[in-house]
Amino acid sequence: MRVRHTMVGALAVLTLGAPALAGCGSDGDRLVVYSGRTENLIKPLLDDFAAESGIGIDVRYDDSANLALLIDEEGDASPADVFISQSPGAVGYLDAAGRLAALSEDIVGMVPEGDAAADGGWVGVSGRVRTLVYNTDLVDAADLPPSVLDLTAPRYAGQVALAPTNGSFQDFVTVLRDQLGDDEAAAWLEGMAAGDPPTFSDNTAIVEAVSRGEVPMGLVNHYYAFRAKAEDPGLPIENHYFPDGDLGSTLLVTGASVIAGSDLDDEAEQLIEFLLGAEAQRYFSDETFEYPLVAGATVNPALPPFDEISATRVDLDELGGGLERTTEMIDESGLNR
Amino acid sequence: MPPSAGAIPAARVPGSAPLALRVVCGVVGLLFAAPLGYLAWRTLTGDESLASLYTSGTTLVPLRNTLVLAATTAASTAVVGTALAWLTTRTDLPLRRLWAVLAALPLVFPSFVGALALLAAVGPGGLLDGPLGWVGVSPSRPEGFAGAWLVLTLFTTPYVLLPVSARLAALPPSLEESARLLGRRPAAVFATVVWPQVRGAVGAGSLLVFLYALSDFGVVVLLRYDTLTRVIYTNRALDRDRSVALSLLLAVLALAVVAGERTLARRHPPVEGVRGRRSLQVPLGHWRWPAVALVAAWVAVALGGPLASLGLWAWRGFTGEGSSLASGSGGLGDLVEPAANTVGIGLVTAVVAVAVVLPLAYLSARHRARAGDVATGLVASGFALPGLVIALAVVFWSVQLPPGWGLYQSFVMLVFAYVVHLGVQSLRAAQVAVGSVPRRLDESARMLGAGRARRFATVDLPLMVPGLAAGGGLVLLSTMKELPITLLTAPTGFETLATRIWADAEAVFLAEAALASVVLVALSGALTWLLVVRRSDRLA
Repeated sequence: MRVRHTMVGALAVLTLGAPALAGCGSDGDRLVVYSGRTENLIKPLLDDFAAESGIGIDVRYDDSANLALLIDEEGDASPADVFISQSPGAVGYLDAAGRLAALSEDIVGMVPEGDAAADGGWVGVSGRVRTLVYNTDLVDAADLPPSVLDLTAPRYAGQVALAPTNGSFQDFVTVLRDQLGDDEAAAWLEGMAAGDPPTFSDNTAIVEAVSRGEVPMGLVNHYYAFRAKAEDPGLPIENHYFPDGDLGSTLLVTGASVIAGSDLDDEAEQLIEFLLGAEAQRYFSDETFEYPLVAGATVNPALPPFDEISATRVDLDELGGGLERTTEMIDESGLNR
Repeated sequence: MPPSAGAIPAARVPGSAPLALRVVCGVVGLLFAAPLGYLAWRTLTGDESLASLYTSGTTLVPLRNTLVLAATTAASTAVVGTALAWLTTRTDLPLRRLWAVLAALPLVFPSFVGALALLAAVGPGGLLDGPLGWVGVSPSRPEGFAGAWLVLTLFTTPYVLLPVSARLAALPPSLEESARLLGRRPAAVFATVVWPQVRGAVGAGSLLVFLYALSDFGVVVLLRYDTLTRVIYTNRALDRDRSVALSLLLAVLALAVVAGERTLARRHPPVEGVRGRRSLQVPLGHWRWPAVALVAAWVAVALGGPLASLGLWAWRGFTGEGSSLASGSGGLGDLVEPAANTVGIGLVTAVVAVAVVLPLAYLSARHRARAGDVATGLVASGFALPGLVIALAVVFWSVQLPPGWGLYQSFVMLVFAYVVHLGVQSLRAAQVAVGSVPRRLDESARMLGAGRARRFATVDLPLMVPGLAAGGGLVLLSTMKELPITLLTAPTGFETLATRIWADAEAVFLAEAALASVVLVALSGALTWLLVVRRSDRLA
């Protein structure tokens, strides 16, 4: 009867088909990378590295925080050799948990002080700044404030989209706390919450809503607008960079690290060195619209020179430890309700 | 009319479960306890004080919101899902089989992209803003409780629709016909004849909706409604002990809800059904076109809304200068392998899920053993937990196994994690299916000398197929869109459509994300047609 044929067929898929579905398993000689950057934004580089070095690479992609939890749960059994984190918080979490091996001083020395962990647990390879994306049909550029702190003014009430559960926003709030103290940071959060702003789950959702005109402005990382416009150049959105080292232009770096206990730690360090090399730094600047971190690397001409907008480099060692209090403060401000 | 009128109540056979069945169920129950065991262990070894956490306002407010959202969504989907199921299986609604497939499809949108696309269609500045503006309506953004409730109802109604449709397809039309011939009005026919027979399936479906609403994160965050899952996600890498303790609370909630549901189910024993040779078609008369309009409106919002946004994004990508789609990379060709992976792993998971839960269904539905109810609770708790928690639990247990077994990040581990998370979708359907097999037939076969295996294959299974297919179909659709478990536990390099959609959406390649989403919806539609709708129709 028909039913049983279907069952038999499906079971055949289970026993025979499933192993064949496995394109590549991870074996001991291949470098295993857990990447919080999505495939579109890192795979070309990893492919180049594999071709140049002859080292095979297997990559697992997910949200940075989820991968950090995975590595922590795997413990000594972790197959991962390298962790690339999109958010400073996630790599800080693993560093605090003692799950990262110290990088060599040569590698850490390639980036400015402050763009790597003080204990050498991870190193920044590229960066993006916080920014205010706005809809050019709805907002006159002359009306935009010089500082992110001005957004609590009544004229902006409810006009600025936020992503309070997102790692980048949380990192930014931690910077506010670090630079202004908890009281002023809490006052800013409550000022924003008082305007009852629309909130979203992540930067992508904010940029989409601003393009559509649902909300005039949104606090995001700078490169989303570039990517959205690469896909549809007609979108009426622009970035407003808060000038002169305003906290609103804080730099957030992508961190690369070697997992403690990796049996391929030499190869892992080779990969991180590659990510700090000229080719990769140019890739970050040209292809992903990010700020390269290594001294002497050219910044994409579409971006404002780093010195003009951002003086604030996050003290990431502070970030790792203080995030718990940050989310409590965001909760208390009422932004999530 | 008492529920038993005209149909034979299932015989109670307490304590008669064979030992082998009990042992198998014990093992299955233990496997499904993996997440609960993990959470309990982490809570015990963590330093979160449960007493103060569970009584603090920062827990109680989201807890209340979670319960309100889950209960109201379960109620609204019960009404809409039952109505849609009845209209598409029992009436002369024009194009009813097409509507049956389309109405099931909103289930396949991964919640992170589905909610975003729906908002882009019906929110301010969205696709509908212009047309609505002409008639003087300006849309406001769905938000808070009302928004989350509405969007969840739109996306989860198929959890009720599919099992109720399967149940209706397996019911004899004779009773309804007699009642109609005796002059009962349609509403009275429904209340006295149809409702008692589908009550179990409606309860099973609403329970799934309730559990889904407990675990959902994508919708509540986008629509800004503060639930427990938001707290769990926000704190996952910052205050892990708190996230773990709150996840444990979700699992306990699921156990409590299932206990309540089982108690109710015991009060109304399942009604056996013998399939008629032909399906009944209630003439809708002058209600025919209003009914079509209602069904079409529902499908337009729940399926058409998100699809329209996705279509617009994909079109932009194909026509926009400088986009990767227009330049020829990242097109449909790149989606072939993820699509094959998606269908393959979905089918395997659906078959394994049905096979694994069938013994439990026998234990609880036929033998009505209390142990079966406990196992049901454990299976249900897996669906009340966010996929991320299930994935971490499976990782936790897997790394305790000898590495030589090669199970870590294998397909076995992936399918296991899927089944632990989604198994309840097939269990509840299987329980309804087992409960509807007339014991009398089984008894007769036994007296004629048929062994247990033969009775199962020739008597029970053919009768249960529509129900099992509906349950397997739910697992299939849910597996095809599943994201967090796939990302964390799949073999390295294994890509599905959902992982592709996520990666593209994360990088604001909305065109690529949209294209992959449309492929996912199309594939799911084809499979729903082949495996669920066509089958239950033919067998009915």
